[in-house]
Amino acid sequence: MNMLAVILNSTIRSTTPILLAALGSAICSQVGVFNIALEGQILIGCFVSIVANYFTGNVYLAVLCGMLGGAAVASIVAILQVKYKAADMVIGTSVNLLTSGLTSVLLSTIFGVRGSFSSPELISLPKIKLPVISEIPVVSRLFEQLTFIDYLSYIIAILMFVYLYKTVSGFHTQSVGKNIEAADSLGIKTLRTQIIAVLVSGALCGLGGSVLSMGQVTLFTEDMSAGRGYMAMASASMGQAHPLFVIASSLFFGICQSAGVLLQNYVPSQLTQAIPYAATVIALSIFGWRAIRKKNA
Amino acid sequence: MFLELKNITKTFGKTVANDNISFGLNKGEILALIGENGAGKSTISKILYGLNKPDSGEIFLDGKKLKIHSVLDAIDHGIGMVQQHFMLFESYTVAENIVYGKEPKKNGFFDRKRAAEIVRELGDEYGLHIDPDLKVEDCSVGMRQRIEILKVLYQNADIIIFDEPTAVLVPQEIEELLKTIKDLAKRGKSIIIITHKLQEVMDVADRTVVLRQGKFVGERLISETDIKELSYLMVGRGIPPREVEKKEPGKLVLDVEDLRYKHEGVSILNGLSINVHEGEIVGIAGVSGNGQTELIQCLTGLLKPDSGKVELCGEDISGKSVREIRDLGCAHIPEDRYEFGCARKADLEETSIMGYEHLPEFSSKGLLNEKHNQEFALNLLDKYSVKYDHMGEPAGALSGGNIQKLIVAREIEHNSKFLIAAEPTRGVDIGAQEFIHDRLMDKRNRGDGVLLISSELSEVMSLSDRIYVIYDGQIRGEFTRAEADTNKVGFLMMGGQNGQD
Ligand SMILES: Nc1ncnc2c1ncn2[C@@H]1O[C@H](COP(=O)(O)OP(=O)(O)OP(=O)(O)O)[C@@H](O)[C@H]1O
Ligand SMILES: [Mg+2]
Repeated sequence: MNMLAVILNSTIRSTTPILLAALGSAICSQVGVFNIALEGQILIGCFVSIVANYFTGNVYLAVLCGMLGGAAVASIVAILQVKYKAADMVIGTSVNLLTSGLTSVLLSTIFGVRGSFSSPELISLPKIKLPVISEIPVVSRLFEQLTFIDYLSYIIAILMFVYLYKTVSGFHTQSVGKNIEAADSLGIKTLRTQIIAVLVSGALCGLGGSVLSMGQVTLFTEDMSAGRGYMAMASASMGQAHPLFVIASSLFFGICQSAGVLLQNYVPSQLTQAIPYAATVIALSIFGWRAIRKKNA
Repeated sequence: MFLELKNITKTFGKTVANDNISFGLNKGEILALIGENGAGKSTISKILYGLNKPDSGEIFLDGKKLKIHSVLDAIDHGIGMVQQHFMLFESYTVAENIVYGKEPKKNGFFDRKRAAEIVRELGDEYGLHIDPDLKVEDCSVGMRQRIEILKVLYQNADIIIFDEPTAVLVPQEIEELLKTIKDLAKRGKSIIIITHKLQEVMDVADRTVVLRQGKFVGERLISETDIKELSYLMVGRGIPPREVEKKEPGKLVLDVEDLRYKHEGVSILNGLSINVHEGEIVGIAGVSGNGQTELIQCLTGLLKPDSGKVELCGEDISGKSVREIRDLGCAHIPEDRYEFGCARKADLEETSIMGYEHLPEFSSKGLLNEKHNQEFALNLLDKYSVKYDHMGEPAGALSGGNIQKLIVAREIEHNSKFLIAAEPTRGVDIGAQEFIHDRLMDKRNRGDGVLLISSELSEVMSLSDRIYVIYDGQIRGEFTRAEADTNKVGFLMMGGQNGQD
């Protein structure tokens, strides 16, 4: 029983960065932009948060800087891919490689270390202690060690759902992805909508990056995003870019990650580490196949 | 004059699409804008609707000069347009599409319930009924057009522009639409309608303005003109009646027996049998939606029939791929030029050889013969007098009729034994219609077989050596050229049974 609560708790914690990035991916695909740079946006979020944390000593300011960093990387996508119509694959892949290299270089120039950086001066995100629930034995394990960002990510998902599916502005935003020509001909500023969506995805990934580098652990390691951007893309496509479905699909990836960690004690870790990625491939194949079948029906 | 356009000029590269055009529109008037393909009809209406910016010229409404910089400006001034290619969101509902841009709100949220009510009320007011909760992707072409009209009415337009609204409709829908248009004019809306069908102009319009090669060539009150004069004005020459060369049909090229096809439990083809011989044009007359589309798709390999035999030049084609069937000698002018006929972004050279690019004439060892292909494309464009700016232009930039001409050229000029021509003159002007008809005749006279499918009965009647009437996925009657008469064919088309009229 306790064991189950621990697993679920670890699932929730590994879900958060994926969920936030998946929401970013979802908003991009809602406006018809195929954003592959999520990985880079997350990584920059991790790095900038740690830098800001170290120099300001304020963890909230660090989170904000992480989001701005993500948005800054996203603006490269917004300008080159959306405004100037460069190929999405090329831009996305280069941005991901660029951030990976850039963070390594800056890591050694700013902190003078290689591989990873950690310091007792870094402040980690405060863990929230829920009033009544933390008294209940097993249930309390479930909500242990969670930061405000963990809770916030679900609120963001719900807000995004309300915005996209209940407001007029969200209705227009979605229409851009459905038929950009028609939206244009009805006077919608389609380019602006797409650019904003990409920037929002950057901020969300940046937020995901902050929780990654200041939540469970408080450190930065090279390439610590470890493919979460791609998992997020898979999750958004599994959840059909619908924020509430994306919660479910991201939890699935969260389970796979925590299962990978858990099984490390019994199975060689090289194998367990592959679990989330194998799940990504399988999930995408199943959903791709179903989409094809639906199209042909 | 209520609306006045003065000295409008618009160029695209070297093409002068509108050359100093001036005309006006009265309140409650129906004005037909006619002219050949590429004459500049769509261009000038897009200028009025804020989609194109004129190089020079002015627009006046009620004596006041208008500044139309965008569609929103046009809508603000009460100008609405139903475009040649519909601008709808497939996965949104009818109501969502109609209220788009002026959505009803409740507590700051989109009030979808109210939107549906508005659509119902609007539909009742104008007699344009449609289920507001339907998804657009489930709507027929006629319904989509109704949605576009309701959208314009919801935006409170006083001036409504229809760009070739009847090109995609079946005869009953056309009749309904023309009634709606007249009704709107009676309620004080001013209407501009673009069409290639002069009979419609005579039926619905009060006045007509004729354009040729971007220039204004004349205007006539409908009460003072006739089809002959209008076609003369449009093309600049008279059109002589067709003479049909006698020709004995040869061997069988297409043999279809007992073709059956079901989609989601609904029978669409119910044991259909037809055949086409060498040197013969066989027409299929019928109201759209009686299985013509599925028949074509079964013949070309796009659909797999449930049962039945299809033989092309003596070979069974069941289980063959689209390419194999084409290579066996089946050319195809598709019904929907944008879905199957071309790729909007491909340039004219690519469009000219598309579907044949693997043949030794156009490529060797996987490489395209650029030089030859360019010449080939130039020759096609020239022979079919397609109006274009330059070879690297995307197919989507050509006017509707011109892209159709290019597709027809590609499919006819490829010397296949058999040609399926579906709505070959959809959206092309009367001069070009004549031209395409002549080319189909040439093909027949060369000894090839042609299957002509058209919702335009006059087209089927004037070209076919033999006519089948299709109804509900079956052949309900067969006529030779001598036996066919409009009444008999029309009666079967509407579902009448032979021998009981
Ligand atoms: N966006 C564009 N870019 C380049 N050329 C264009 C564009 N739009 C129109 N043209 C050219 O301007 C000319 C007039 O085109 P337009 O679409 O107004 O013709 P139309 O009278 O509507 O013809 P149709 O009856 O075939 O629809 C054509 O030669 C066309 O190729
Ligand atoms: Mg046109």
